[in-house]
Amino acid sequence: MTQSVNLDLGLLPSLGELFDAFNAGKHLNRTAEPALWAELESEQKQYQELFGRLGFNLCVDRRGFAWFQFDNASSNVSRTTRQLALLFMLLFEMKADEGMHLHRFADWSIDRSMLAKLFERGHDLLLVEGMDEEALATLLDRACAYGFVETAAGGWRLLSAIWRYLDHFEVLANERADKLEEGIEDDESIETSAEEERA
Amino acid sequence: MMDYGFQRLVLLNSAGYERAELPLDASVSLVAPNNTGKTSLINALQFLLIIDRRRMDFGSYEVDRSRRFYFPSNSAYILLEVLLPDSGSVVLGCVGKGVSHDYEYFAYRGQLNVDDFRRDDGCLAAQPELLSHLASRGRLAQRFSGTEFTSMVYGNSRRARGDNGDFTVFRLEQARHAEVFQRVLTRTLRLDKLQSKEVKAYLLQIFYRDLSDAGIDFKQEWDKAFSDVNADREQYQAALKQKGQFDQLEALYEERLSLRGKLVYFRPLIDRALEDWQTYYQSRFAELEQARKEIEQADEQLQEDRVAWSGERQRNLQAADAIGREGQRQAELERRFALVDRRETLEQAIAVAREAYEVQVALVAGVQRRKPDEIARQRCRVMKDVQRLEREKASLSGNLYQHLQRELNAEQLDVLNRLFAREVMTLPESGFQISGDQLHRSLEQWLSQPGRLELPGLELQLAGLPEQHRQRSAEEIEQELSDVQCQLVLLDEQLRVAEELQAAEALKRERELDYQQARLDLEAFDVLAGLRASAVEREQSLLAFQSAVAELDVKLGGVQAELRRLREQLDGMRKQQDELEGQHRKICIGRDQRCDGDTVFSYLPDLPQYPWAGRAALPIEQLDVHLGEYQQDCRRLSRLDSEVRGLLVELHAGGLTKFQAAADPDEEIRMMVEFGRHLPQEFEAIERKARTAVVNVTACLRQLRGSLNDFKAKMRQFNLLIGRRRLSDLSVFKIEPEDEQDLVWAIETLISTAEQVDSGESFDLFDHGSVLDDESLGRAKALLIREGDARGGLAVEHLFRLSFIVGKEGQKPEAFADLDGAASNGTVLMAKLVTGLALLHQMQDKRYSVRAACYLDEALALDGPNQTSLIDTAAEFGFALIFASPAPLATVRYCVRITRHGGHNHVSRKNWQELEPIVAGAEV
Repeated sequence: MTQSVNLDLGLLPSLGELFDAFNAGKHLNRTAEPALWAELESEQKQYQELFGRLGFNLCVDRRGFAWFQFDNASSNVSRTTRQLALLFMLLFEMKADEGMHLHRFADWSIDRSMLAKLFERGHDLLLVEGMDEEALATLLDRACAYGFVETAAGGWRLLSAIWRYLDHFEVLANERADKLEEGIEDDESIETSAEEERA
Repeated sequence: MMDYGFQRLVLLNSAGYERAELPLDASVSLVAPNNTGKTSLINALQFLLIIDRRRMDFGSYEVDRSRRFYFPSNSAYILLEVLLPDSGSVVLGCVGKGVSHDYEYFAYRGQLNVDDFRRDDGCLAAQPELLSHLASRGRLAQRFSGTEFTSMVYGNSRRARGDNGDFTVFRLEQARHAEVFQRVLTRTLRLDKLQSKEVKAYLLQIFYRDLSDAGIDFKQEWDKAFSDVNADREQYQAALKQKGQFDQLEALYEERLSLRGKLVYFRPLIDRALEDWQTYYQSRFAELEQARKEIEQADEQLQEDRVAWSGERQRNLQAADAIGREGQRQAELERRFALVDRRETLEQAIAVAREAYEVQVALVAGVQRRKPDEIARQRCRVMKDVQRLEREKASLSGNLYQHLQRELNAEQLDVLNRLFAREVMTLPESGFQISGDQLHRSLEQWLSQPGRLELPGLELQLAGLPEQHRQRSAEEIEQELSDVQCQLVLLDEQLRVAEELQAAEALKRERELDYQQARLDLEAFDVLAGLRASAVEREQSLLAFQSAVAELDVKLGGVQAELRRLREQLDGMRKQQDELEGQHRKICIGRDQRCDGDTVFSYLPDLPQYPWAGRAALPIEQLDVHLGEYQQDCRRLSRLDSEVRGLLVELHAGGLTKFQAAADPDEEIRMMVEFGRHLPQEFEAIERKARTAVVNVTACLRQLRGSLNDFKAKMRQFNLLIGRRRLSDLSVFKIEPEDEQDLVWAIETLISTAEQVDSGESFDLFDHGSVLDDESLGRAKALLIREGDARGGLAVEHLFRLSFIVGKEGQKPEAFADLDGAASNGTVLMAKLVTGLALLHQMQDKRYSVRAACYLDEALALDGPNQTSLIDTAAEFGFALIFASPAPLATVRYCVRITRHGGHNHVSRKNWQELEPIVAGAEV
């Protein structure tokens, strides 16, 4: 069955705005821009179809964020992504160590003192990237432009788009945990066999 | 399997079918090539079951076009035979009305016999005559409007007219679900068209019983709940930020109250005092005037005394001076006559001096008073004469004149005599040389003119010149000479006397002086004697004078002081008078310009005030001061009034308006002042209100959350319903509502805050300020408001999204937002079918189940087991499943082929093929 798609552009009033944002690599977050999100949500199929035909892959995560998935990102973007990944990883680890529930990252308020702590924590890794405390702040400001973070009350807050990083992070954590378990199992099996031998 | 329900669908002259009969009481495989009209057949049911054109869906065809398609003429029929529990077989029908392609509904009890619709001539009955035609066949049919038909089919409380029985096909648990039912039914008829997005809406409509569809306007709720709080808070803020003005207002207010009291107290006193003033003034004025006069008189008297005393003193002083001088004189004389102790000495001196003088007087008297200088000069002249005469004498023998006389004529001689000086003429011969001729000649030349002498280079007039010389004889000369010489002798004598006379005169004078001096001395001596005599007396007098002077000095000194005192008194008096005058003037002016003429002063006693606790009386001599004060106070009161007004305006403008409804301005101020004094308590009250407001506002949120939870519970039940089914290769199929975490969190935050407030723990927990300022609360609130704005209100549907959990056998279940992406075609179809049917089933009244039909296109995409599964599931839900495909299926009960001839489609009953399972145990 061939699919003919009727596109009513009248139902897509913010088409231009959305395209500009997505094309610039920005993530649209429900909590940050509820009106735009509502529109996207109500005509999601249309948008995805339209952008798809134009060659853009619009990804919509139901947890409340959307973005264009680019396969060949510019080196600048990659570098930023890498640095952000590093920053967020440090952040997640720190929060996890503090016993905070990572899924509530939207509640965290990131200020300068926290950046200092992060810097201390990942001192070596950050230096390798050529980043100091000031650079962390600059990075967060740039993250605002990409829709990962918003400024709030003398600091920053993480937006839903951070789930992309968190998902990766959790996958990695699980892999590590699995590896650890395997390691322990191996050790245990060695121990039991040793016991058996002794017995 | 129920017996009740759809039995058959018949189309006559409709949708390209000349005649179509379709069984609906069991699963059917509808076989025909693509685009033959399979879908049209099943879609025809919409006219009978959906009825509402707005809810019909013919895919890409518009409803109007479809109308034309299904009702090309007035003998186009869509008929449905239904077996109902109460009424038995019932035929529901729809017939075209002709050119307009409109159609109308009818229904009758009885079985569906196609022949009933044929006329005797074999043609189909037309709409106009339908009822009568049916009646002739023993079918009591009725016409229905669309609405009536709907009511009938859906069993609304309004029974269809007529007593043909209850034609309710679908009895719903909730009559208001009819719309949803219809929508879902539409979708279910074309299963593959069911969209996930719609599922959510349908679920909500079905399960969401309690509230209306409209979402809550959270912002409005918040504003409503907080309107009071906000208003109060604004007033509080207005008061807080204008603390300064408040303090000022309070101060002024207090001052005004006391001032009012004071004025009320003093006004009558002032009035009375003003009345008394005139009398007082006059009497006092007279008093002062009298006193002043007396002083002036005293002053005058004193002045006079002073003058008198001064004079006396002066006199005494002078006398004293005189005595003093006498004393001095005596001393002087004493010194002078220190060596003379007797009068006789001096007397003798006088006598001597007199004598000498008299002698000299006599001496001088005889002498002619002629100055020696004069005589000397005369002598000189005489001497000159003597010399001259001697010369003349000497030259007698031959002087120039004589020579000239001899040489010249008389005229010439005359001329020369006039010309030459006498002395020249008398020159001796030694003194000249004469050449007579030469001279004569020269003179002739020169005296050419008479009376004129013409010298070379000089002309002289001789007429006026006198003769110089006269030649005298020797005797004459001798005579004159001797005379002169005598004269000379005489003059010498005189000269001598004259010179001597001067000395004599001088001596005479000297002697006279001596004489006089001697006389004077005597006098002086007498004087001295006198003085000596009176010395003692003088001394006494002097003392007396001096003491008198001293007395007078004292007196005069006293006068000075006294005068000063009187002056001062006078000044004092004058000052008092001036003061009095001044007071009077002030009072007169004050009386004329009373500052309490304003109306406010007349009802001052009625205004709130502090009673004045002060003096009882107003001393009249200070009336002017008091009047001035009074006026000042009046003016101050007016100023206070306007200042207070101004402050009020300021405070109003600054936002403090809650007391403006007070009865009068004073009342308002009093309340304002009270308010200002109790700001901390006000803050607390606002806090409490705010917390209450939070509780109130969360009521609607609670409702929302409650609805969400209710819905979730319903969904769990629903999932049980659909989970019982085995869906092809799915081990798990669930429709889960997933929270929109951010919104739900926001709602939870607000609710939990409210709960904390309710529980009374609140006040300690909000240690960082007002509940209104709590940061996460603020974020939560902002989020809810923004979402509400973006979606036009907050509703349950915004709080969750549906996730279709699909788990293949042996695999982990996955969650999909959209069903179409969830699985293979077959599985998706299954899922959709199950969902749709479950929805419909949910809505139906379980006690009254009538089997209906649903339709699935492209059934070949499913394999056999899937098909069987679908059929069974549909049957369980009370639906007969109609598969459409180009080739027949083996899993169905009926296999129906669409044939085509004569340009029309046909589905004949004769062409139905019933299939029965070979395996006896596999009963469906």
